[in-house]
Amino acid sequence: MSVFFLTLYVLVWPVIVFGVIYVLGKALWQEIREAKREGRPLI
Amino acid sequence: MVPNGAGLHQLGSWTVIGLLVLFYGGTLLMTFFIGRKNENADGYMTAGNKVGFGISAGSMTATWIWASSMYASATSGYTYGISGPIHYGLWGALMILFIYPFGKRIRAVAPKAHTLAEVMHARHGKSSQLMLAGSNIVGSLISITSNFIAGGALISLLSPFSFTQGILFMGGGILLYSLWSGFRASVLTDAVQVFALLGAVVIIIPVVFFAAGGPDMFVTGASKLTPQQSNFFSSEAFLNQGAPYIAAVLAYAIGNQTIAQRLFAVREDLIKKTFVTATVGYGATIIGVGMLGVMALYAGIAPLDGDSNNLIPQMAATYLGPVLLGVFLIMIVSALSSTADSDLSAMSSIVMADVYGQNIAKKGEANPKTMLFIGRITMIVATGAGLYFASGKLNILDLLVFVGALWGALVFPVIASFYWEKVTNKAFTVSVLVALACFLPVRFGWIALDGAAGIVVDVLSVIGIGVVLGLMAFGFFGLKIAKIVAAVAILAAAPFAIGFLHDYAVLSGSLVAYAVSTLVCYFMCFRNKANFDFASIKERIGDFDNREEANPEGSGSLLEEKA
Repeated sequence: MSVFFLTLYVLVWPVIVFGVIYVLGKALWQEIREAKREGRPLI
Repeated sequence: MVPNGAGLHQLGSWTVIGLLVLFYGGTLLMTFFIGRKNENADGYMTAGNKVGFGISAGSMTATWIWASSMYASATSGYTYGISGPIHYGLWGALMILFIYPFGKRIRAVAPKAHTLAEVMHARHGKSSQLMLAGSNIVGSLISITSNFIAGGALISLLSPFSFTQGILFMGGGILLYSLWSGFRASVLTDAVQVFALLGAVVIIIPVVFFAAGGPDMFVTGASKLTPQQSNFFSSEAFLNQGAPYIAAVLAYAIGNQTIAQRLFAVREDLIKKTFVTATVGYGATIIGVGMLGVMALYAGIAPLDGDSNNLIPQMAATYLGPVLLGVFLIMIVSALSSTADSDLSAMSSIVMADVYGQNIAKKGEANPKTMLFIGRITMIVATGAGLYFASGKLNILDLLVFVGALWGALVFPVIASFYWEKVTNKAFTVSVLVALACFLPVRFGWIALDGAAGIVVDVLSVIGIGVVLGLMAFGFFGLKIAKIVAAVAILAAAPFAIGFLHDYAVLSGSLVAYAVSTLVCYFMCFRNKANFDFASIKERIGDFDNREEANPEGSGSLLEEKA
């Protein structure tokens, strides 16, 4: 493997993790707002 | 921050105390917002079966990412080279992915269940229930012990505190915030801890990479790798790390109550979305952290005291400044706490539902208050046991691989019990016991495997390959495709595997367990005339707690009541 691909191979994972943080954060935020609006406990 | 004797940086006593108090204090405060004076016993086990996507996906991700899996992924990268983290993290991620089709079926059959073993009780009876519940408890106890060991080792390496002080602080912190609200506390705190955990990964991996030399490291350090370590398709990595993990994909998923609990907790229409997201989150995080092991290999760093568990803390203490070292500490503490609290909830649910609810209390007369008391006592006892075993510093990952293979004996009987009406309690119990009897001598080399015995083990292992891949295909594509996949896998593997596979004891032991339990279960059932009515399970499993004062909709949180 070339140096470029090895570098990409190491650094691609934090980028994917960042994407997961975005998806989870957005969903959690929506759930908190919905629970507040409907006046029910979050869990 | 001061350098220790080995030249590594450490955090000061007050910094560590401050970080841990902030972490566990904040987590405890969070649980006050959801804690109720009268907790609901069913809520204590499954949070009411309607948890949303954000919380359940966050919780599943955080639960499956545990401190030891981070250490093991880095060890795999250090040992097997660039493909090592893939062979640890990818198959671990698939454990979450491959269970969701079965999870949808299990939820359809038993929507109000609390544990998988409870469904086995309704499907078969006591022996299969207690067999599954027992293996679940052993797995969770090993897992919690492993997390305590990882935490203690981290504290002793990064601070002036001892291993024992570290495990006591963490064990106490986790128990404190989990005890009152059980699974509800676990799932909510997981969903918050996952952001600390994943956020730290996003920052730490690139920082260590560039601090260790960046892309130049791959040029200057290339000579330190063997041809196998620098090969992305390393056969050594596949046979020693990847293949045993592929074999364990379904075993871990079936044998782990923490997954089953989330399957029963999440809203039924969100199962797929939740588990696919957790698969990606777990895989990227664990493979990413495994890259620290690959970097250590290129940089020529040897694990401290020859213990590969020191590799990740060592990389952090070598390349991170004081602030990021604190972030690193929180990352590991989040990973171990989110898994340990889930294990506590899992064990308490099993004792509440399977031991008390189904076997001690009279049918339909389980007292919810007694049940909650038993659940909380279980958490205290489990924490004490975990701390006791952790102080012995056993080689936990070896134990876990062993238990994972044991779970392999349960996979076919458990899955078949949800789909095939002919499976009986006797077939379930006998097939698991016979599989274990065959697994142990192969796994531990109690019999010489040269000559005919070796060929028999290889043939069974090849059948095991067909069973594993067939079951994986069955979940997604149904029986017809599963049979084709199993047959093709057996025919393709046979010429290569027969004659040498018995040399790999971990892999062949696990595959033999799969094959034997499947063959015995099938041949004991296929002529069975009696048909089981799956619709009857719904009628046999329901809520334990219908008290008005414990109604989740009607009671405020502990904080609201105080106000």
